[in-house]
Amino acid sequence: MKLRRIAAWSAATLVLLLVFAAYLQPEVAFTLANQLWNCF
Amino acid sequence: MKQVLLCGAMIVTLSMGIRHGFGLWLQPITMDRGWTRETFAFALAIQNLSWGIAGPFAGMLADRYGAFRVLIVGSLFYAGGLVLMALATSGLAFTGSAGLVLGLAQSGTTYAVVYGVIGRNVAPEKRSWAMGVAAAAGSFGQFLMVPVENWLIGSFGWQNALFLLGCLALAIVPLAFGLKEPAATKATGFQQSIGSALREALSYPSFLLLMAGYFVCGFQVVFIGVHMPSYLKDHGLTPNVATTALALIGLFNVVGTYVAGSLGERMPKKYILSTIYALRAVVIVVFISVPLTPMSVYVFASTMGVLWLSTVPPTNAVIAQIFGVQYMSMLGGFVFLSHQVGSFLGVWLGGRLYDATGSYDVVWWIAAGLGVFAAIVNLPVREAAITRVAQRAA
Repeated sequence: MKLRRIAAWSAATLVLLLVFAAYLQPEVAFTLANQLWNCF
Repeated sequence: MKQVLLCGAMIVTLSMGIRHGFGLWLQPITMDRGWTRETFAFALAIQNLSWGIAGPFAGMLADRYGAFRVLIVGSLFYAGGLVLMALATSGLAFTGSAGLVLGLAQSGTTYAVVYGVIGRNVAPEKRSWAMGVAAAAGSFGQFLMVPVENWLIGSFGWQNALFLLGCLALAIVPLAFGLKEPAATKATGFQQSIGSALREALSYPSFLLLMAGYFVCGFQVVFIGVHMPSYLKDHGLTPNVATTALALIGLFNVVGTYVAGSLGERMPKKYILSTIYALRAVVIVVFISVPLTPMSVYVFASTMGVLWLSTVPPTNAVIAQIFGVQYMSMLGGFVFLSHQVGSFLGVWLGGRLYDATGSYDVVWWIAAGLGVFAAIVNLPVREAAITRVAQRAA
């Protein structure tokens, strides 16, 4: 049970970090930098 | 409980996520159609207002006829609105589709409607945690969909990207069946009419205090979201700093909403809310007082990210605790309307005072002052269940 919980939290952290990394891709960063205020 | 939580979380991930990247369509649509930015911005402003105004009515319908029906209609509106947004060739048609129809769709597919079902199907002691999970899912949707939608536009063109999102919005339909409640769930306990529930809430001081706090939440979050990039640019920081700040807010928002919901299991929610608003005020004052550097922006974005939508689970959990869950969606819709009025003022006043004074300083101080105000007004909130005359007589 504890192992499953650790695995689930690790997977969630990994997904969050992967999405975070997607923001830092140069082409994504360029588009967002131009249109940032519209994303809210 | 697992099914309600899983389906509810996935619905909120989709509904909050899809709308969050709409700004990415500004350049392709305005260039392709030959419209001004004002046409696009006006439609999004109408969308936010109609989302807020329709919220209580969508909540009312969900409480009365079942959330799953409202979610299905909302999903159809969402898909239809996205398709019409892609096909609109006039400013009026664009405002009607991207503004009105999508605003109505969001009112039927977001937090208030889903929280009503969670409230009725999760044990009171686990309710705040469950709302935290759903809010974290919505925050994750926002965080995830911006790069995804950017990729869709780049790969398939802006129009096809909207059609694809329309198909994605239809995924809410099967998920809605996971929130179908048996009639017995709704019929148990003290029964009250919609009008009586509304009069009761609007005359109960604690409900008005929660609405005041949520107004501040909307003001701060949307002011920062919309105006911070310009603020950073005015101070000579590169656009990449603003993009990283956006990513940090998104990342820590997921963490903050979950933590706030979990804390609600262990301590009075009014103290959680009061602390969140007080911390926002402190963080804003520190941010505008220290020299502006990329590092100060990243620290600000990370801490504000933790505090971003973390007000959502405790606010809704307190409403359920005070008034019960029979009309939770409707009451949640009312506090959200207050949030949207605050959002509108945050955007508008930010621009207005910038034009009048030549800087954002005054608005930053207003945002900090409102944080102190919200921290104070949440303290006297009475979290105990309301005692009703009819219940006492029974």
